[in-house]
Amino acid sequence: MSINRRSLLSLLGASPALLAGAAAAQTKAKGKTAAGKAPVVGVPKIVALNPRGIPPPITLIPMAKRLDSLDGKTIYLVSDGFPGADHFLAQVGIWFQKNMPSVTTVYRLKAGGFADDDPKLNAEIKEKGQAVIMAIGH
Amino acid sequence: MGIPAAPIVTIAFKDLAQSNCAKRGMPLQRISYTPHPVWGKTDEQMMAYLEGNDPVSGKPFMPEVVGALTRPLTADESKTGTVTPPTGAPTFTDTSDNLQQYFLDNGLTDTMPIIIPTQERVDAMLKATSHKPDEVVGHMTPAQGAFPAWSYTVQQVAVNAVMAGAAPDYFPTILAIASTGISALFSSTNSLVSAAVINGPIRDKLQMNYGIGAMGPFNQANATIGRAWTIMSRNLDGGGICGETYMGSQGNVINYSNLIIPENEKDSPWPAFHTTKGFKPEENVISFFFGFLITQGQGGKGLGVKPVPLYNVAMSANVAPFASLFGALFLLDPLVANGLGDLGFKTRDSLADWLQKNTTVTVKDVKSMLFSGLPRGPEAANLKDDDVIPKWPKADAFQFVVVGGQTNPYHQLANMSYRVSVSIDKWT
Repeated sequence: MSINRRSLLSLLGASPALLAGAAAAQTKAKGKTAAGKAPVVGVPKIVALNPRGIPPPITLIPMAKRLDSLDGKTIYLVSDGFPGADHFLAQVGIWFQKNMPSVTTVYRLKAGGFADDDPKLNAEIKEKGQAVIMAIGH
Repeated sequence: MGIPAAPIVTIAFKDLAQSNCAKRGMPLQRISYTPHPVWGKTDEQMMAYLEGNDPVSGKPFMPEVVGALTRPLTADESKTGTVTPPTGAPTFTDTSDNLQQYFLDNGLTDTMPIIIPTQERVDAMLKATSHKPDEVVGHMTPAQGAFPAWSYTVQQVAVNAVMAGAAPDYFPTILAIASTGISALFSSTNSLVSAAVINGPIRDKLQMNYGIGAMGPFNQANATIGRAWTIMSRNLDGGGICGETYMGSQGNVINYSNLIIPENEKDSPWPAFHTTKGFKPEENVISFFFGFLITQGQGGKGLGVKPVPLYNVAMSANVAPFASLFGALFLLDPLVANGLGDLGFKTRDSLADWLQKNTTVTVKDVKSMLFSGLPRGPEAANLKDDDVIPKWPKADAFQFVVVGGQTNPYHQLANMSYRVSVSIDKWT
């Protein structure tokens, strides 16, 4: 799967525009300005401080090993609680019944807010399931 | 968890999902996308999503989901290690005009012209606090739990305060805001707004306006303290990037400077707001609210009653349409607050109790609402559709602040909940 430029820049904790600007700032020695424009003769330059805070370091997490196939497996269909996710996942369950009938699906609504962890559900999935499909969004 | 997972996200959240996965250490997460929204779609429409193509990859949707769970991992997907995100050079050198453009182009402002944060200006700001420039003030995120929180120092807050046009005397108040970690640009699809109520002698020391036009663009302290909050909410936590760290569908004009409300303590019939939160009258305190919107309260039922209008009846009628996900913050001109006192509401609590008991809704209507919940517990088991119940289960959903210049007995109300009150004095 590819990841777009915007996401890669976000990975670095910066908007695409900021990094473009930062690159420009680093080229001042080559005759360009912080804004990437040609310098204006006779206009005094001033030094501005960077207003940005300090993002935390990012620890890369390896993704879980994939399954050889879904045949005979139990897949948990987990809603994050936003409107419509429950009905959407019901249709996902119906799709599996029609197209991959050996798959067992189990629907669950994750506890807490959309960003909260649900350790109880995680433990259940780890004990009884082999994969998760999670629906996020409206 | 060690179990393969396949996230499904509607396309409106593509940038948010990808950037957030990256910030959480899984930049290559196998996300599949549906058209947006799924909410309000029929079963047939949803099945058409499943049997159609992912609008991002163009590939058949469900085979892609199955593949996300079964296709062997690549080396990049199995990577470990640590990445330190850069935030740009510590300083930028250029002409004033070019720096204005640079800050604008790089998303470092509220899109309005700023005061260039030179070292001299930042140093002047820093003199207004006893705290050291490198002290960490707090941690902020565009949405708690959804995005990793950033940290920031006193100096970084000062840089943002300068940009907003704040005078150094305002800096302790701005530091108090920053210390809470509350973003004024909370990333929700709901276009939420924030408010801060200021109490204590500092209101007069800073010559804040709590009289005529208090919430309008007529006072430097009111305006720039609020503006600094918004600019900080972009720069100190990586927030305010539309589609990534800000998702408000329509946005909200209040986000430009937020609702900064110095209470009109001298004309209020009640003790100052912050004393209801455990502070002493002489303490300088800022109290935070958060929610959907603000609206006017005029023309309501009860206001035509003579000789004393039934302000409480109007307030109940006006607040009734609000979603009970948030509470209600009433902003009362002193004429209204004193009128309520004449009606017998000698305390804020007595008014809150009345509103809680008298602002009602049928069970049937609650069931049809979004962002409103039915009561829970044993007493809720026997509720029938026609039963009438209080819309808000607790009286503390209703909060009251007195502000305004007594040119008319007006009130405004916001669908907002109280969050926290913090000391400003701690940051002097």
